[in-house]
Amino acid sequence: MNVSVLLDGALDELLERIRPALAVVMDRRRGAGAGILLGNGLVLTNAHVAGRGRSLQVVLENEETHPAKLLASDPDVDLALLEIPVNGHAAAVLSEAAPRPGEMVFAFGHPWGHRNVLTGGVLSAVTSLRGRHGEIPVLRADVQLAPGNSGGPLLNMAGQVIGLNAMIFGGDQSVAIPASILRRFLGEALKKMPGKRVPEGVL
Amino acid sequence: MSNVLVELSNSMAAAAEKAGASTVLVNARRRMPASGVAFAPDLILTADHVIEQEEGITVLLPDGTETGAKLAGRDPGSDLAVLRLDKPLAKPAETSPQARIGALVLALGRPSPEGIEVSLGVVSATGGPVRTPRGSIDRFIRTDTTPFPGFSGGPLVDAEGRVVGVNTSGFGHGIALTLPADYAWKVADQLAKHGSVQRGYLGIRSQGVDLSAPAQKALKREQATGLLVISVEKDSPAEAGGMIVGDILVAVDGQPVADHDALFARLAGDAVGKSAPVEVLRGGQPQKLTVKIGARS
Repeated sequence: MNVSVLLDGALDELLERIRPALAVVMDRRRGAGAGILLGNGLVLTNAHVAGRGRSLQVVLENEETHPAKLLASDPDVDLALLEIPVNGHAAAVLSEAAPRPGEMVFAFGHPWGHRNVLTGGVLSAVTSLRGRHGEIPVLRADVQLAPGNSGGPLLNMAGQVIGLNAMIFGGDQSVAIPASILRRFLGEALKKMPGKRVPEGVL
Repeated sequence: MSNVLVELSNSMAAAAEKAGASTVLVNARRRMPASGVAFAPDLILTADHVIEQEEGITVLLPDGTETGAKLAGRDPGSDLAVLRLDKPLAKPAETSPQARIGALVLALGRPSPEGIEVSLGVVSATGGPVRTPRGSIDRFIRTDTTPFPGFSGGPLVDAEGRVVGVNTSGFGHGIALTLPADYAWKVADQLAKHGSVQRGYLGIRSQGVDLSAPAQKALKREQATGLLVISVEKDSPAEAGGMIVGDILVAVDGQPVADHDALFARLAGDAVGKSAPVEVLRGGQPQKLTVKIGARS
């Protein structure tokens, strides 16, 4: 079989698998971003998308809209954890592999409000940015992003989350928070909330 | 899980890693560093415009070794320069024979000590010869990769991690071009040996002219223009080869010469010192001469 046919098939399969794990995170006043479903009602997004957590809503792929509660937020790494009162939805899987410059990536989100848009590129660099409290590791990719991609996943070709798209410089350079930082943030946030946990196999 | 998508991704990452082992950081200007690619253990090819100082140049190798480097030669015309490392520890890159339009390519750079940076694209077009602000280049490759800051001097690599060319955004107008590897390597070789690019010299002044229909017929090929010789310098290679005023130069070294760009292309590269067949129209009839191409000083 032709390689491009195989690629198409693999792409379809990846998209089918990841699409149900992508949510829209809305704030009535400030527009929308993306979020990643982690299972057990947990939704990971950017702190700048969640804001102070007032009147947050999460829209699932099947158009179900749920009110969301802000569980934790860390502006230093631009991450926030939300909870919606439903269970049993799809969940994304975080990559455990070290990110490699040159590997292919997809960004998945809602640029300019267009739902479920996939943009492709490669991981450009594994680098760091100076934040308010020292350097934070980040991933840079050459994928095309726009407002609305914030909080959405940067995926590897196995459909695993290698980062959370956080900062959009416009054009074709994006910055994502790497999976290692997502894990650390979730670990610290969930430690303070007995009874809440991410399903096995996600982290 | 593994499928063709994962395999493709892994091979792109492996290509970046392989070429990254020959991609160095070049510190020769006050602003941010630029990139370079090793073509011998002690020789780094980079972009001419990123060399803003000839003293105190340093190169950071992929393994973290920092070494001093001397400017071995530079050619503003092609925006290429060669650095000679104090520590000959670089890993020479493998080159790729050709750039196919549509082929997947990666632009690589090492603008910071944190590691390589990569951008994906395809070969959009190839072309040349073309005039540049300070000279000319034989051939170029255009891609839709993103030239991140500090990418000038870094390699364009194919899906197997072989170097297809050297990237530069030094020709102005914010346009990034890639100099094909075989061409860049040839220039680099001359820069390493002579410190500058030797350009061939005939010793004529000439003017573009249309060829008459009978002259075109006599040539037995589709060529509508040539170069009318309007003067021949005394003791020049052209004079020694028998060229005279009034000849219309139509080919050098077996390649048609329809205009000055075509002539410059024939006189570039390793033409110097070569005894080249030269075809002229004299009295409307083709004549073959042999000219030993000199070096323009």
